[in-house]
Amino acid sequence: MTQGQAKQGRKDQGLRQSMAWLHTWVGLLPGWVLYVIFVFGTAAFFQHEIDGWMRPELSSETRVSPRALAAADAVLKARAGGAESAFVSMPDPRGGSGLELSWRMKDEKRGGDGNRVILDPATGEEAQVRATKGGYFLYRFHFDLHYMPVMWARMLVSIAALAMLVAILSGVVTHKKIFTDFFMLRFGKGQRSWLDAHNASAVLVLPFYLMITYTGLATLLFTLMPWALAANFPDRQAFYKTTFAAAPEREASGRPAATIPLTGMIATAQQHWDGALPTYIGIDHPGDGNTTITLYPEQGGWGHPSHNTLYLDGPTGALLPSTQPVKGGAQATWRAMIDLHTAWFAGYGLRWLLALSGLGGVAMVATGLCLWCVKRRARLHDPARPHFGFRLVEGLNIGCILGAPLGIAAYFLANRLLPFDLADRAAWEINSLFIVWGGVLVWGFARAFACTAARAWVEMLALSAALFAAVPLLNALTTTRGLGQSLPAGDWIFAGFDLSMLALAGGFALAARKLALRKARPAPRQRARREATA
Amino acid sequence: MTHLFTALPCLLGFALLLSAMARHQQDWLKRKLPAHFSRLLRITGFALLAVAFIIAGLGLGWAYGAVAWCGWLSVGAALTLTAQTNRERILTLLRR
Repeated sequence: MTQGQAKQGRKDQGLRQSMAWLHTWVGLLPGWVLYVIFVFGTAAFFQHEIDGWMRPELSSETRVSPRALAAADAVLKARAGGAESAFVSMPDPRGGSGLELSWRMKDEKRGGDGNRVILDPATGEEAQVRATKGGYFLYRFHFDLHYMPVMWARMLVSIAALAMLVAILSGVVTHKKIFTDFFMLRFGKGQRSWLDAHNASAVLVLPFYLMITYTGLATLLFTLMPWALAANFPDRQAFYKTTFAAAPEREASGRPAATIPLTGMIATAQQHWDGALPTYIGIDHPGDGNTTITLYPEQGGWGHPSHNTLYLDGPTGALLPSTQPVKGGAQATWRAMIDLHTAWFAGYGLRWLLALSGLGGVAMVATGLCLWCVKRRARLHDPARPHFGFRLVEGLNIGCILGAPLGIAAYFLANRLLPFDLADRAAWEINSLFIVWGGVLVWGFARAFACTAARAWVEMLALSAALFAAVPLLNALTTTRGLGQSLPAGDWIFAGFDLSMLALAGGFALAARKLALRKARPAPRQRARREATA
Repeated sequence: MTHLFTALPCLLGFALLLSAMARHQQDWLKRKLPAHFSRLLRITGFALLAVAFIIAGLGLGWAYGAVAWCGWLSVGAALTLTAQTNRERILTLLRR
């Protein structure tokens, strides 16, 4: 029996050790990508609020007045006549996007920015809004990355997310005392403290990590596992046609006929959807006898199926027959997973909880990456001259862990600093993000290879504190919606954003101060030891 | 309001779970509590977490409430951990 126990013990040790090895390497190699996904994904929970802050010209009004709809009709009639298609995007209830009109002329490429007009939802006046990708870019970056083909990026992100799942499970096995150490966080004990911090940030928010990683993979389902589609449908289009609602495609007749006004389309939608509003309206061949109007519904509450897409005949406003979407169990499960990941249903209470959990993930990945170095520094042959791999990881750690937030701060600052009518303004905001991030990477490597990484951490933390504190300051200087005005006015998008930036600045400043003081302390002790041995 | 009444039992539940552990009893009270009392603390702690789930489910709907409950669980555990980490400071404050 005792022999059996010993054997069991050895086997257990073997499993745990192999899991520890797996956890170390599966965590480290995609770790920097995971960190970036967590940072940008967390920001994406406040995508529309960030949109609102980055478009200070838009008022905080999100309800569309009949006057604005009439103005939109006039713009479409005057400027989108003869267009292939036109689109009306209603303002998001959380803010950040006015009443947006766009259209595409014949032989024009999709996604062009030329034919786009933003109207004030209340007055209907054309708003002069600075060009920016806003919070949408931060959201897109967390799975599409940037400066590289989207499909490659998604594969990379998928691999990192799969590795994350493996790291979570192997981490649970490796973490021997997951329950007895549940409340343990001991500071000032070197490697022990890093391990505690890594364990605590992982265990306390574990359900969220499992959920967000798994559902994140589910959103990329057709990228990761296209085989079920390939086996059952000749191509993607055929799948979409059978699965989602569609109306018969109609050619333009060439016979001009007035399209019904937007108020008419919205009234029809409300009639069929128990008063729900459309979020997006597509108009094919506007002003033609064969115009087709597509009305996309608001999402229903969580657990309630959303309404069906409606198709109307342009000149008469009559409902066109359409195929209905397939609503099976698999479809519902998949939808629920995507809803859970995107959290569009979350009110501000839940949204903040999700964002805090996201920050927990940021902390978990960051402490894990740091732990790799801390653990190996103690075992270095010559601590003054670490091997290449060690310096590489240390440089990457500084460059990513602080580079990503510094880049985001630069993105917000660029939004206020770049001239209004700069060519490719939105692209230059994004470039600013990566220029600063690249700078931090270079600086991190320079310090890591000069063996002064500790100084780089303090410097970059201090710089992060300064840049994040500068964001609300610059906002107050360049707009009329600084904290002094937004707080008394109850302008929560601006007040919330500026206060969050100050909180981040405070966090970075605290970390910089702690680190600077800690680095200063061991010196006298070392000197004392040296004197004692001499 | 439901958020508050979900958060409080979560926080209290984790505080009881902490106090049910012998190691932390030693930390806070400088002595260990009897085993049956620790067990009672542990059962009450878990019961409070369950109560929080029911409150969240009834108040916010079961689907939405379950997500919110997970969030408050994390916050409750994190706050308990923060208290445990700053134990010396809290004890000094209490003694004064």
